Amino acid sequence: MPGRGKLIAVIGDEDTCTGFLLGGIGELNKNRKPNFLVVEKDTSVTEIEETFKSFLARSDIGIILINQFIAEMIRHAIDAHMESIPAVLEIPSKEHPYDASKDSILRRAKGMFSAEDFR
Amino acid sequence: MGVDQPLRLDERLLLFMDQLEALEEKRHKLNSLIEEGWFSIAKARYSMGNKQVSALQYASEMEPLVCVETSVLEGGTAEFKCERKENKIEEVKNNTIEDIGAKETGLRRRTNANQKGVKEEEQERDQVNSKAESSTPEHRDPLKWFGILVPQNLKQAQSAFKEVITLSAEIASLQSAILATRKEMQAQKKEKQEKTQPEVKKQ
Repeated sequence: MPGRGKLIAVIGDEDTCTGFLLGGIGELNKNRKPNFLVVEKDTSVTEIEETFKSFLARSDIGIILINQFIAEMIRHAIDAHMESIPAVLEIPSKEHPYDASKDSILRRAKGMFSAEDFR
Repeated sequence: MGVDQPLRLDERLLLFMDQLEALEEKRHKLNSLIEEGWFSIAKARYSMGNKQVSALQYASEMEPLVCVETSVLEGGTAEFKCERKENKIEEVKNNTIEDIGAKETGLRRRTNANQKGVKEEEQERDQVNSKAESSTPEHRDPLKWFGILVPQNLKQAQSAFKEVITLSAEIASLQSAILATRKEMQAQKKEKQEKTQPEVKKQ
């Protein structure tokens, strides 16, 4: 079943959000909650986790982009997400370059190999 | 059957490796584009001022200019495709222009008996025009939040992030495909183990 016109959400630092909003993904109006969260130094982990879970619960979001250092704060919530939609994509931040070993998706893919598999 | 299964497993493994390689390539490109975008934003901030390029400048109302079409395939794999609304608006505009042109030439030839039909068509045309007009102000370029004359760096940042968004959709599709391939491989391995275990028991 095709799902048309889903949004792209972003949870990131100011520059990441500014960049993606410049790209045109932002939605902000009185009727609905925004599809982005600018994470600052004083943003609590609870707020980040609640926003992430609210994005997962929305049926109109197709992809969630999140800085990897923020993803690390709510790793348990990201690992618990098993559905294919919305897709969660971890992206680097200015202070923290992308680390493939921390990515949830790649860790799941890596975990399948053991010495017995090659017999 | 016994010979086919290891072959299928090998094929899946090769596909899995190819997908991982493609993912790594796209990831590398995505990360470089994002860094390029940040660098352009930093340069724009340097020329315009710290507060001029920040979250303070975001509009109070925004409408998304890009959306993603999702579809779920047979194996549970999700596919994502980016679509920009700018292209759709241009098509609507072109269509309205064409419709107006055709209707005008058609109207000249109509007889008096068809005047009511003509009025209805004019009303429809007005409605279509107003739709096209109302849609254009809503789809504003986010670049305008930062001022009327923005430095080239900010435009470069915008185009970098537009490319990032398109790539993100491709990476999301690949990730879903990788997880699906992994699932299939696990299922096939389990099948293989179940078939080899009775043989071991017999021995």
